[in-house]
Amino acid sequence: MSVEKKEVRIAVTDGMLIPSGKDKSIITAWSISLIFAISSIIYLCVKNPDPYLDILKFLPDGILVTFEVTVSAILLTIPIGLATGMGRLSENKIINLIASTYVEIIRGIPLLVQLFFIYYAIGEFVQLPDLTAAIIAMSVCYGAYMGEVFRAGIDAVDCGQTEAARSLGFNKTETMFMVILPQAWRTILPPVGNEFIALLKDSSLVSILAVSELLRRGREYASVTFNYFECYLMVALIYLIITLLLSKGVSIMENKLNYYDD
Amino acid sequence: MLKKIVLALVVVAMTASFAFAQKTIVIAHDATWPPMEFVDQNKNIVGYSVDYCDAIAKELGLTVEHKSVAWDGIFAGLVGRKYDMISSSVSITPERQKKFDFSDPYFEVTQAVILPIDASGASLTDLKGKTLGGQLGTTGVFVAKRAEGVNTKEYDEIGFAIEALYTGRIDGVICDDAIAADYVLRNPKYAGKFKLAFIVKSDKPEYYGFVVKKGNKELLDLLNKGIAAVKAKGIEAELRKKWIGQ
Repeated sequence: MSVEKKEVRIAVTDGMLIPSGKDKSIITAWSISLIFAISSIIYLCVKNPDPYLDILKFLPDGILVTFEVTVSAILLTIPIGLATGMGRLSENKIINLIASTYVEIIRGIPLLVQLFFIYYAIGEFVQLPDLTAAIIAMSVCYGAYMGEVFRAGIDAVDCGQTEAARSLGFNKTETMFMVILPQAWRTILPPVGNEFIALLKDSSLVSILAVSELLRRGREYASVTFNYFECYLMVALIYLIITLLLSKGVSIMENKLNYYDD
Repeated sequence: MLKKIVLALVVVAMTASFAFAQKTIVIAHDATWPPMEFVDQNKNIVGYSVDYCDAIAKELGLTVEHKSVAWDGIFAGLVGRKYDMISSSVSITPERQKKFDFSDPYFEVTQAVILPIDASGASLTDLKGKTLGGQLGTTGVFVAKRAEGVNTKEYDEIGFAIEALYTGRIDGVICDDAIAADYVLRNPKYAGKFKLAFIVKSDKPEYYGFVVKKGNKELLDLLNKGIAAVKAKGIEAELRKKWIGQ
C-alpha cells in the first residue's frame, strides 16, 4: 500500500489562503468577490440611475488619482525597501544603524500623522505640491515596512548560497544581485504583494490633504447631495474591484516565479 | 440572584436614559469655525452660536449638551440620530431644506474671499485661473464652484485651507464673512499677511439656521420660540457685541 502524496502549495494573498498551481477552478473566493462587486455596481446603476449612475460618472478622475498615488508610491517603495532591507543586514555599523533607525521611527508614527507632518508641518518651510507630498509620505512609510519584508526574504536564503557564490569568485555585490536576490524574490513576493494592497487601501488617507482621489471625490459628492449611503457604497465597491485586480496581479506573478516548482 | 440584580440594573439604566433623553438636547457643532463655534484654550466649545443655544435653553428651561463633530458627516450623524440638532453655522439652502428642517434664521452671512495682503482682485472674475480653497460641502465652496474659471480645493476644515493659503499652496480662501474677518483680524499668526479682499455679491441673502431631522416638529417649534425670545430680549445684540464686535 503506497499512499500517493499530492503536494498543494499555499500562496498567501492578503489574508486568504489560495491553493495555487494546478487548481483551475472558476469558483474561487476571488472570482466570487469580483463578480459580486461588478454585478452590484451594474445592478444599482440600472435600477437607480439617479443617484448611482451620477455618482459613478463623478468618480473616474478620482480613480485615476488613486492609481497615480498607488503606482508611484509602489515604484518608489521598492528601491527604498531594498536599500533598507540590505542596510539592516549590512555589516557596516553606520549603514546598519541608519537603516534600523529609519525603520524604527517610521514604524512608530501613524501614516495619517506622517501625511499631516509632511504637508502642513514641513509645509511651513517647503511647499511640495499636494500629490508629491502624498506620494513621498506613502513611499517613506511603506518603504520601512517593505524594508522589513526584504530583510526577512534575504535572510531566508540559505547561507550556503552566499558561501558557494563567494567561493566561485563572485564579489559581494554580484553575490547579492545575481545569486541571493533572485532566490529571495520568491519568498518576498507574497508579503510584498500584501504591502502593495495595503498601500492601495491606505491611499484613501491622502484625501485629508484635499487631493482629489477616489474617496475625496465621493465625499465631495456626498457633501452636496447628502446621499451618504449610495456614495460610500459605490466608493467601497470600486475600491474592492481595484484591490481584487491588484491581488490577482500579484498571484499571477507568484505563479510565474514558481514555474519550476510544478 | 446575580441575574436579577443585572436585570434590575439594566431596567434602571434604561429608564434613566429615557428620562434623560426627554430633557437633554444634544447639539452637534463642528468646532472649527471661529468665532461662531470653536474650541478655546481650555478645550471648551465656545462661540456665538454656542452661546446662542445656551441662551435659548435658558429661556425655555431646557438642558443642552454640546458635542464636537467633524463637518464631513455632521448631517449623516443627524440622520443616524447621534444627536438632536446641528448648530454649526449651517446656511439655509433649498438643497439642504429638501433633506432637513431648519429653524428660523439666527444670523445673516455673506461669502467673503481672503487673499494675501499684496494680491489684487475685487471679484470672482478677477480670480480666473486661480485656486480658491474652502471647506468641503460649505456654501463658500458651492459659490466658488459656480464661478467660471476658478479652481476649487476642498479641505476638511477651514483652518487647513487658511494654512494652505499661508504657505502659498493656494491663491485665496472663500468662507462666511464673520469667519473670514476673524482669521484676518483677530488671529495673531495671520495678522498683516491676509486681507478681506471682497464680499461675493449675491442676489439672495444667506442665513444660518439650526438643523433638525426632517419632521421633528416638536424641537423645531421649541427652537423658533427660543430664537424669538432671544431676539426680543436683546440677548442677540449682546452676543454679537461679544463675539463679532459690531
